[in-house]
Amino acid sequence: MAKPHKITGLNPNGSYHENALIILPQKVQEVYSWEQFIHNPEQREELHNMRISIKRLRYTMEFLAINYDKKFHDFLTTLIELQDILGDIHDNDVVLETLTEYKENHETSTLSGIETLIARTRKNRNTDYQTFLKKWEQLSQENFKQKLLEIIAS
Amino acid sequence: MTTAIEIKGIAPDKSMETCARQIIVSFYHEMMSHKTGAIEGENIKCVHDMRAASRRLRAAMDNFANCFQKEPFKKHYKQIRTITRTMGAVRDLDVLITRFQNEAQTLTETEQVDIQGLIEHLQQKREAARKPMLALFIELDASDFETQFLTFFEVHE
Repeated sequence: MAKPHKITGLNPNGSYHENALIILPQKVQEVYSWEQFIHNPEQREELHNMRISIKRLRYTMEFLAINYDKKFHDFLTTLIELQDILGDIHDNDVVLETLTEYKENHETSTLSGIETLIARTRKNRNTDYQTFLKKWEQLSQENFKQKLLEIIAS
Repeated sequence: MTTAIEIKGIAPDKSMETCARQIIVSFYHEMMSHKTGAIEGENIKCVHDMRAASRRLRAAMDNFANCFQKEPFKKHYKQIRTITRTMGAVRDLDVLITRFQNEAQTLTETEQVDIQGLIEHLQQKREAARKPMLALFIELDASDFETQFLTFFEVHE
């Protein structure tokens, strides 16, 4: 898992609101630093890192929400949706790894149940990945990032 | 999914440092409120909630690091990171066990036998993963971590 980007420019004596404007754009940038990897479904680690960065942004938005109006929460809801889809992809990756490792260590048995689950999980993983790409594309067309940065700066 | 707790004592016009202290202390208490349940191990939600709270706490500490003196902060941060990681090892296995238990119900009887073998294997790993977690809790109590952490981050209004 990648380390969080260091937050710079904080003013401990400044107001909470003033510092929200410094922190949040940096957290958004961290999420988008993974965008270059999303079109390759095999970039498991990078997709996982994007999910973790979204989670960090979500938590940060939750405790900075007091500085914003209701619109801010709509963006939070979208981020949670993205985090959940990426979470499903990651869960499938972990399940596949577990099943494959178990199968390799039990080569003498037939293990048809394991084979069935491997096939099912691969299919689910592909469906979840396509769902993610579709959602990401939709958000890009709606200028999600730009709108989020505008709300943050308000 | 866990939801964020309501944090008292923060406001847009209050100083960053005061709010940072308030948030860190609130998340610390939220995290520790699940410790007894995590030790008991019956309800898997307790480990999940404790880990989620530790992640929120780390997110806050990552963001607000510049509000605090570097060295004591680093020591406390590392300890919280250890808590997240130790809880994570147990939680990841809980997620897998639950998933395979649910998936097994959709399979034939023969296939279910295979999955039962895998579930038992994961349950053994879970028991092993709980040991470092329980040892960590004992270590935290013995080192008086809580007092040191809360004293360092207490709110000065």
